[in-house]
Amino acid sequence: MHQPSPLYRRLLLMAATASALLIALPSSAGSRILGTGAVSAIEGAAGGGLSPWAVLSSTASDNELGATASATQAWVDDYQLSVASASINVHDRLELSMARQTFELTTLGGELEQTIYAAKVRLFGSVLYHPWGIWSAGMMHKRLKDGSVPTALGADDTRGTDAFLSASKLLFNAFLGRNVLVNGTLRNTSANQGGLLGFGGDQGGRAWMAEGSLGVFITPNWIVGTEYRQKPDNLSVAREDDWQSLYSAYFFNKHVSLTGAWLDLGDIAGLPSQQGGYVSLQAAF
Amino acid sequence: MSLLSIASRRIIFTFLLLSTLLMQGCAQHNSGATLSLYERIGGQPAIEAIVENLLYRIAEDEEVVGYFANTNIDLFAESFATQLCDISDGPCRYDGPPMDRAHQTMGITDAHFNRVVAYLDIAMRHEGVSLSARNDLLGRLAPLYEDVMRLR
Repeated sequence: MHQPSPLYRRLLLMAATASALLIALPSSAGSRILGTGAVSAIEGAAGGGLSPWAVLSSTASDNELGATASATQAWVDDYQLSVASASINVHDRLELSMARQTFELTTLGGELEQTIYAAKVRLFGSVLYHPWGIWSAGMMHKRLKDGSVPTALGADDTRGTDAFLSASKLLFNAFLGRNVLVNGTLRNTSANQGGLLGFGGDQGGRAWMAEGSLGVFITPNWIVGTEYRQKPDNLSVAREDDWQSLYSAYFFNKHVSLTGAWLDLGDIAGLPSQQGGYVSLQAAF
Repeated sequence: MSLLSIASRRIIFTFLLLSTLLMQGCAQHNSGATLSLYERIGGQPAIEAIVENLLYRIAEDEEVVGYFANTNIDLFAESFATQLCDISDGPCRYDGPPMDRAHQTMGITDAHFNRVVAYLDIAMRHEGVSLSARNDLLGRLAPLYEDVMRLR
């Protein structure tokens, strides 16, 4: 049986304790409307799980500060991904985040570890009030701890940087009286499997990729939707597919959210058709 | 196998997108033909109760209530109720000051704006307004943000 890393277990415990406290004692929060801070995507930035969104984390508004911490676990047929991440939001203008990903190769043996430092700036707009929604740009710097497996597969680098432009908008009363959240992201990246299999390769390097999501707020606390993330295919020995998810995120209050998802990640490192589940717990302050 | 699976996943995603857009069209068609938003909210008595409920919440917020220091509350309540009636297709016409002039040089922050939006939503919930009517009204009020904040 797979043992999560001690750091990950400690963070999970902290997140669970903080969440329990925050559910019991709702205290002061940012003033943005519930749910507008999204959840933590696997790369640390506020988003839907697979893809960053234009909204900034937590519910901090123009003169407020916010912070989030989250623990995420994904299980697909031959792999497991654990992510511990944290972010801060400065005045709803700048989001800084960090994520530690541990990718367990359950069938092949071994594990890969990656750290992601990211910054996202809100360029203009608001997910609720602006006719064009909210627009943000960001960077993600990714470093693999031990790049020997990716290098053996043909990756050019063990560190890389993604740049992205993202737009999000809430459409009020758009579907059976419910609000619909739409997001589009364009990402310039050379990352193979998000960076876990290194950067670049014999079949290509940096390219623009499109990501999108569509979610319906069934209630103000509960959003259900789908995400799609186009991916490069740089390694001839490890074919790479686009990612897709169906997700459900529940916001208990402005402090705690729980996300569950079904993932279809396609081929990963030579093992075909990786599908499975995803759970993520976020605490926001 | 792999090509097929990519194709099938793209098809599923496209299908979800299309079905959402199509159902959105149907939903608008159905609700538009029957009751106005004004009626779905509960008419003038409900709107007046919502405004009163909102004002109690604002009164309890020490930061937001400051903006109302020089405001005639009765006049404000009447004017805001008329505006809600007008914007929800009720039998009223709002002829008060435009939103930019009404909030001129008040120094309203996004945080305070958001708080008032949240109070309005809670007030509507307490007065029994359905989720779809609340979403509809908030969606009609959302574009006023730009006017309210223009001359802040």
